[in-house]
Amino acid sequence: MPEALVILLTTIFVNNFVTVQFLGLCPFMGASQKFDSAIGMAAATTFVLTLASAVSYLVQNYVLVPFDLEYLRIIVFIVIIASLVQFAEIVIRATQPLLHSILGVFIPLITTNCAVLGVALMNVHQAVSFVSAVLYGFGAALGFSLLLIMFAAIREQQPDENIPMAFRGTAINMVTAGLLSLAFMGFTGMG
Amino acid sequence: MLTGTLVLSLVGLICTGLLLIATRRFNPDDQEVITLILKELPQTQCAQCGYPGCRPYAEAIATEDAPINRCPPGGDNTIRALANLLGRQALPLDTAGGDGVVKIAQIRESECIGCTLCLPACPVDAIIGAPQMLHAIIGEACTGCELCIAPCPVDCIDMLPLEQPVVTPSTTALPCIHCGDCIPVCPKQLTPVQLYQQDQSLDVLASLRLADCIECGLCDRVCPSNIPLTNTFALAKQRLADREAVVLVAEQTEQRVNQHDARMLQAQSVTSKPDSSDDLLARLKGQL
Repeated sequence: MPEALVILLTTIFVNNFVTVQFLGLCPFMGASQKFDSAIGMAAATTFVLTLASAVSYLVQNYVLVPFDLEYLRIIVFIVIIASLVQFAEIVIRATQPLLHSILGVFIPLITTNCAVLGVALMNVHQAVSFVSAVLYGFGAALGFSLLLIMFAAIREQQPDENIPMAFRGTAINMVTAGLLSLAFMGFTGMG
Repeated sequence: MLTGTLVLSLVGLICTGLLLIATRRFNPDDQEVITLILKELPQTQCAQCGYPGCRPYAEAIATEDAPINRCPPGGDNTIRALANLLGRQALPLDTAGGDGVVKIAQIRESECIGCTLCLPACPVDAIIGAPQMLHAIIGEACTGCELCIAPCPVDCIDMLPLEQPVVTPSTTALPCIHCGDCIPVCPKQLTPVQLYQQDQSLDVLASLRLADCIECGLCDRVCPSNIPLTNTFALAKQRLADREAVVLVAEQTEQRVNQHDARMLQAQSVTSKPDSSDDLLARLKGQL
């Protein structure tokens, strides 16, 4: 149990995928205009990331390694992730039509979220058991969600601020993301 | 190489199979059908179909095969549209909750306190009224959803069966036949038939309390000649108001003249001898 806690804390804070490893920046910037859509995106990504890390661990250890097919790793993982994303989209579309219309194109884009593939590939080297692989994926997803929601909350306040003309738009977002990243660097060495 | 191809194909096949099952299970096309059905429903959210609102009813039609003839506000038009949309047979209206009689709301005028609480409750804006004023229900617009009954603090709204099919007012009015049908429906106890006869003489109209007309449109609805009575009265009221405004301005002008005269008279008596400006100046200096 303490091991699980360590994995979660490490992936959420110390090795946060967005601010420390710089993965998954596309949805981080793209889906954070609104707080509500950020929460939906975070939930969808959490679902996909956790399942993807679990399935990819199983496929790696019980299919690819026994058949000596590790060179197929990336393409097999991408097929799995794409299917999972499609599955998530079907579920969201059927159960949450409103959320589906808000997220729109960002759900298929989870496929190309490099954090998902990144976690699956890192699990190959890092995870020692199935449980730790799932926890690793779940922790990474929580870290991503935390950052995405924080960033969306900050961006919602932006219109009230007197931002210099030259910094408006993407520039101030990049500066904000950089400051967030700097803050998260402070966790280094904790794990 | 062969194993690689096999494994990759197998993974692809398994994923495809799972996705197919998920598509069947969650059928995303349902949502589009539900949206289409929802567009046909009248959006009164009246729950007379036995479902809590229009969307739940649409979902029930799409997924649970609920009958399409449960919507009293929509009536035959909605049933026909739904039958076309879904390729089902158009059935006669089935009011599951009620007794099959189309009802519309009516306000008991003597008890209405003019609280305006029923106005926002009406989903089709069929109630007109203002604070402290008698409210009236536009019968043609009322869908009989009964949503106005709950908010009324004095329970003065009745659901009355619609005795005759609502006549849509035609644009061609026939001559007045003096039937007097408009007299009992007037909530302000006016005599619309007389008001319509005396249309030209403003003095008579004023004595018949034309200004009390609230333009509720009830007399229009009962008029067998389809005379646009309310419109006529509105125009006459405007002329009456214009005439009264002229009288008012004249009265005010006269009042101002009288006041001016009185003030001048008083000023004269105070300054008994307004001889010259020098005298006045000397007097002012003495006062200082």
